[in-house]
Amino acid sequence: MPANLDSTALARIRSLELRAKVIVEGLWKGMHRSPYHGFSVEFSEYRAYVQGDDPRYIDWKVLARSDRTFIKKFEDETNLRCQLVVDHSRSMSFGSGPFTKADYAATLAATLALFLMQQGDAVGVTTFGQTLQEHIPARNRPGHLRRLMLELEKPAPAGTTALDISVSQLAELVRKRGLICLVSDLLAPVEKLERQLGLLGAMGHDVVLFHVMDRAEIDFSFDKSAHFRDAETGTERFVDPNVAREVYLNRLNVHRDFIRRACERQGIEYQWTPTDTPLERVLFDFLSRRQRKKGGGRV
Amino acid sequence: MTWLFPLYLLGAAAIIGPILMHLRRRPPQDRVEFSSLMFLDAQTPMPVSKRKLDHWLLLLLRCLALLLLALMFARPLLRVENEAPLFQQSATIILLDSSASMRRGDLWKQAVDIASERLQKVAVTDRLAVATLDRQTQLLWSFDQDRGAASTRVATLKPQLSALKPSWESTDLGQALVDAAGWFGSAQGLSGLQKRILLVSDLQEGAKLEALRSLVWPENIQVEVMRVEVPNADNFTLSLAASSPEESAGKDKAPKQTEAVTRVRISNARESKISDFNLDSTPVTSGYIAPGSSRVVTVPALTQAEGSTLTVTGDAWDFDNRVYIAPAQPKTVKIVFIGDEKTRDEAASPLFYLSRALQPTASLRPELSVIAATATALPPDTQLVFVSGARLNAPLAQSVRALVEKDGLVVSVIAEPTTPQDLEALTGIGAKDWNLSASREEGSESYSMLADVQTAHPLLRPFADERLRDFTKLRFWHHRKVTLPKESPLEVLARFDNGDPAILGKGRLILLTSGWHPADSQLALSTKFVPLLYGWLEAAGFRNEQAASLLVGDVLPLDGATTIMTPDGQTLTPKPGTIPRAEMPGIYRVGKELRAVNLPPEEGRITPMDVAKLRELGVRVEDGGLKGAISTLAEEKERLAITEQEGRQRAWIWLLGALLVILGWETWLAGRIRQSVPQQAFTPA
Repeated sequence: MPANLDSTALARIRSLELRAKVIVEGLWKGMHRSPYHGFSVEFSEYRAYVQGDDPRYIDWKVLARSDRTFIKKFEDETNLRCQLVVDHSRSMSFGSGPFTKADYAATLAATLALFLMQQGDAVGVTTFGQTLQEHIPARNRPGHLRRLMLELEKPAPAGTTALDISVSQLAELVRKRGLICLVSDLLAPVEKLERQLGLLGAMGHDVVLFHVMDRAEIDFSFDKSAHFRDAETGTERFVDPNVAREVYLNRLNVHRDFIRRACERQGIEYQWTPTDTPLERVLFDFLSRRQRKKGGGRV
Repeated sequence: MTWLFPLYLLGAAAIIGPILMHLRRRPPQDRVEFSSLMFLDAQTPMPVSKRKLDHWLLLLLRCLALLLLALMFARPLLRVENEAPLFQQSATIILLDSSASMRRGDLWKQAVDIASERLQKVAVTDRLAVATLDRQTQLLWSFDQDRGAASTRVATLKPQLSALKPSWESTDLGQALVDAAGWFGSAQGLSGLQKRILLVSDLQEGAKLEALRSLVWPENIQVEVMRVEVPNADNFTLSLAASSPEESAGKDKAPKQTEAVTRVRISNARESKISDFNLDSTPVTSGYIAPGSSRVVTVPALTQAEGSTLTVTGDAWDFDNRVYIAPAQPKTVKIVFIGDEKTRDEAASPLFYLSRALQPTASLRPELSVIAATATALPPDTQLVFVSGARLNAPLAQSVRALVEKDGLVVSVIAEPTTPQDLEALTGIGAKDWNLSASREEGSESYSMLADVQTAHPLLRPFADERLRDFTKLRFWHHRKVTLPKESPLEVLARFDNGDPAILGKGRLILLTSGWHPADSQLALSTKFVPLLYGWLEAAGFRNEQAASLLVGDVLPLDGATTIMTPDGQTLTPKPGTIPRAEMPGIYRVGKELRAVNLPPEEGRITPMDVAKLRELGVRVEDGGLKGAISTLAEEKERLAITEQEGRQRAWIWLLGALLVILGWETWLAGRIRQSVPQQAFTPA
């Protein structure tokens, strides 16, 4: 595992793409195995048939004309389709350190996108708040990464979090099986979420859930009484942190446990990601788990 | 340490405000943005108790700023007892209003009391002048007199003031102030002294202020106004009103003036509480006038031989309730017509029309006599002569010419029989210069009309009014064509439309080239004839209008008379070279003539004037208020001395500087505290 990068230094890098490159640099390529057989629909060139190639892809018309066996080669042999689903609700704008949760989530998604595209996988990005906001289907083409970065760099998260609606809309859009990485603070009622996540699993998707939270949210480390204002709804409540901390932490743990157990039940990989965790460690953990899950090698 | 305005020190009590604010119990006002409140319950805000003063340095600065502010406004100064004279000597002019409006109630007594009181308080080292003001300013005691006899001024002036009575004249307050300001400049030895004018007056709104507009009021002259007042402001003012134009036109048409009327204006004061008046005309006129407005009332003309008086009643003050009207005294004008007396009643003759046009009016009594052309001389005292075509014999022509040269007026018609020799005898212009020919318009319907009328000429003055210039209905059937030499002394006053002269004038000689009788023209039958005749009479010095009423203070026209009998029965004999003026309202008898003198109507506008009007005109006024509010001179001088010392020391500037520095510190400190508070609130520990 590479040495951890200083998160403050990382936050100073304004370009999201550059930030992702810094993190990805030095990591060796992933070990994924695509659930598909390696051909997209876009024709690129012919190559000679060799033993072991699937005879379905032999061009029979060329064989009939020339008595030679050729195989149609398609542009961009995609191994993996990965859809990065990033929470853009207003609650993500909270942050007590150098990063807000939105910055952290965008950098995490950018890092994953860069890493996957470097090894030839197709990557798409979906952002959501109350509903799906933007959806860029998974591709691997020159310039596609730039488009993803631009989408991830978009500021001003808006609206409340409605996970269940967004996930069900996502299921409509992403039909092909692949990897779905959901990056969110999950600060919304999650009772219906389990069913929606289960639907994604049933569709054959590999789902990874990155639960992003700020350290101040995890510890509720405020000390002065104040009017607390909800970033999503704008409502205010007077709160004395010393009195409210215990109840808060209890409720937060119950919420987290519920999500974790729901993920276990649905076979979804749950990754607890406080924003003070170095991103390369998150990436490394993610890759390690993927490797363990798929039994090693690039499959 | 003394304070110029010690009352402002009470403002220091305002420091209680910040102290209470710093001690106040209030709920926390901090706000924290948080991602979601889904795990948090609302709690009741508990007031934050502040048992000890928070931010005591800030509180100290704020209290100090308020204290400095109070001190600055109180204007502190250090009294220096042995300083050179604490206050300057002063030069004061006491202006005492003695106009007619001061005759109301005890106004005059109040005014004299104030003047006497002030007189005694003026130190011997100070300079003093005293003057009365009405239409003009009258100096009772000048600065020059005061310089020589300051110690005896009280003894001299007190009896003078007691003996004074208010006049009947109007109030020219503006001129009085301008005069007083001028005396400061002209008197010697006043440099370096404080200059003050004490104005003791009822300050009625009828006072004239126009003179002040032409003067930039000197910066160093202060005017103190001591207003005297009486509680009752109910006042009617009676004055003569001008006769209306319609009435004048009527007079010309019917000069007998059988329905003569008098028009008077009754005004009600602005703050008056009454509105019903009675006028003692015959019959008595009663009516209603709203406060602040006026009304013209027409009453039958008063014809008493010794002059008449109209009085309005119903108000509180009597001084302006009368108008005096002198009886009509028409002048006799001796007019001679040279022609045939027998034709006086023949409708075709010029005399017929002349005798009927010249009727007596209120101001003129024409006496028309007729002499034959063969007479040798004009009757004595002849003032006007009319000749209608008759050929005069030589002595009579000489006599007529002599009359012209002696300021008489001669009107002559150049008719068919007139020869250049006749005209030479009349005008002195050589017979060979006259070129006369008959001009009868061709055809029975042909005629000439007047054109090019010199209406600006004094002899044609009645036609100066544009409405009377329509000559299109005036037709001339027949006229003599007169050709004048190039450099003729005769002036063409009007021409016919064919360019021939119609009216010629040379001084007081008027030559008509066509007669006024119907055989020659429609002139005598037209509406222009009578105005034309009276225009000529006016040019000869006989104005057909009622003599305007005189006002108190106006010059009494002597017209050769040597004695004047005043309304109170005194007989005056003005010395040659002096100009006699009317000093009271009433009927004056100047020689044989009666002259009505009335009060200036603006003197009846007794509503008090706002002192701000004087300020608007640039006068530096301090309102001394009413009699009861007089501050003593000594107190005033003390105050002036303290003000002057404070002005020199200017401690307030230092206080202001300190205040600004403290406010700067306060702002900086408050900013720092403000910056630090939200940081604590937003950052989780």
